[in-house]
Amino acid sequence: MSLVSARNISKNYGQFSALSDVSFDIEPGVTGLLGANGAGKTTMLGMIIGLHAPTSGSLQVLGQNPWTAGASVRERLGYAPEHHTLPPDMPAVDFVRHVAELHGLPRDEAAARSSDALWLVDLGEERFRPMGTMSTGQRQRVKLAQAIAHDPNLILLDEPTDGLDPVQRDLMLDLIKHVSTGIGINVILSSHLLDEVEKICDSVVIVGNGVTLATGKLDDLRDTGTTGVVMELEANQDQIDWVLNYFRHHGLTASAIARRITVEGADESVFDLARDACVAADIGIIRLGPRSLTLEDVFLEQLG
Amino acid sequence: MSDAQIFDQGYRTYSGERTGLKGALRSLIVHSLRASLGLGRKARHKIVPVLTVAISYLPAIIILGIAVLFGGGAADDANYYSYYDNSISIAVILMVAFIVPQLLCTDRRTGLLGVYLASPLNRPTYLLGKAITSIILLLLVTLGPPLLILLGYSLQGVGPHGFGQWIETFIKIVASSLVLGLFLTAVGLAISATTDRWATATATIIGALIASTIVTEVLVTEAKLPPAIRLANLIGLPITLIHRIHNDVGEWSYTDNPTWSLWLGVVGWLCLTLGFVWARYRTLLVRR
Repeated sequence: MSLVSARNISKNYGQFSALSDVSFDIEPGVTGLLGANGAGKTTMLGMIIGLHAPTSGSLQVLGQNPWTAGASVRERLGYAPEHHTLPPDMPAVDFVRHVAELHGLPRDEAAARSSDALWLVDLGEERFRPMGTMSTGQRQRVKLAQAIAHDPNLILLDEPTDGLDPVQRDLMLDLIKHVSTGIGINVILSSHLLDEVEKICDSVVIVGNGVTLATGKLDDLRDTGTTGVVMELEANQDQIDWVLNYFRHHGLTASAIARRITVEGADESVFDLARDACVAADIGIIRLGPRSLTLEDVFLEQLG
Repeated sequence: MSDAQIFDQGYRTYSGERTGLKGALRSLIVHSLRASLGLGRKARHKIVPVLTVAISYLPAIIILGIAVLFGGGAADDANYYSYYDNSISIAVILMVAFIVPQLLCTDRRTGLLGVYLASPLNRPTYLLGKAITSIILLLLVTLGPPLLILLGYSLQGVGPHGFGQWIETFIKIVASSLVLGLFLTAVGLAISATTDRWATATATIIGALIASTIVTEVLVTEAKLPPAIRLANLIGLPITLIHRIHNDVGEWSYTDNPTWSLWLGVVGWLCLTLGFVWARYRTLLVRR
């Protein structure tokens, strides 16, 4: 069963259409919710949490309608907001315990689990510190801890690496991946950073201008569309131009960035042509392999 | 082979009962009460709550002390309701102005509102929790002192005569406290709903309470406008109604205002202010 199932969802605010006829399924694992600012991510997250109802269409979260069964759905959801301004004078452990209690855990259980969650995000020693004295990276980890402390089925993380340096960012992404694979909590990661989504997500929902641009397993999305060959050559510019013309002469689309040539083509014969071109031009091959789309390729392709 | 066993694996799944909306509401109220009273926070957060409680309870303790040491004290009903005219009024204004804004403004300013609304709470239940918290805080200063006096006088043998009168006095005290608590909670929450800055809300509440008293009296006494204008007095209205609950006409120059009009005024204010709070939160864009 899908964790989230949206069918033909539209959301209008007066004359403004925030989402239009959106359909997607979110399966277990880590799912990236990708889109530029104003693409409709916030609206979608809000509807998954049950903050507002869709104007039309149907939405099921954990098998229930989040608008009509909001309390029981949200009890099993975790949410880490984007902003960093958590109550500054509150110790992290009190905050995490309070959120765990809000999600239905008895006080003793919430107290124990809040410490466990903070240890998990490597803040065990810092758990009694007021959040106002913590760094951005530590506050981001507190937000992750409060989202998982009550053992939800699904957590929604809104830009969880915002404001982090590269080292902390990688640590946070590793933590999120661990939460999914090690603990078994499913994750929806809202982000506009393609590389981090590509790094840890199993699936992706790409939204833009209020519509779903693409949705599915990341590997499937990268395999769809154009295939071909990527080759990196030991050649000068004249030789690169010669090779490009060779491919074009055989009716293929080829392009080059520095000494890296990308040839589009759907069958194995492209590899043979690439080999023949290099032999004919008497140039060395540094790398020759199948072309795989990056998430950025998919994203840009879907945006048109 | 070692007999060692791992008992604590850190993070574990939770399969026990969940307390649902009721538990979330209880947690919200307890947390808000603790935060408002400065419990578990630095000493500076405790100054206003301690001062407020001291202002409201100290006169009651002194009155009872005098009664115990020197005897006497009156069984007059005025001993209970007149208490609302002075020290409780000041304590209530302090409580409404300095503590109620923190209940709403801080959550919006720190983004905690978004976390609350991602829990089993929704906007109405969140507001209900905050209103209950505010009423509990106000009852601390409106209900506690007169009850203390009632109990003290009763123990001294100078309280109400007979069980029936005692119960009647008790009910009047509870009703008076609830009227004042509910009324000022609604006013405090309404003003707090207009801004994310609690200092602004505090200043506005103090200004509204004082200005409403001055302006309405000037309009009625100097401009000779109808006495119904006094229903806009945010302090005089509930305090006078408390006097009426205790069968006293009141000293607030409200002799031209019948009791039913005071009830109507209080209910009208409750509808207006609570309606405003709901309208504000219904459309409030929750910060992520």
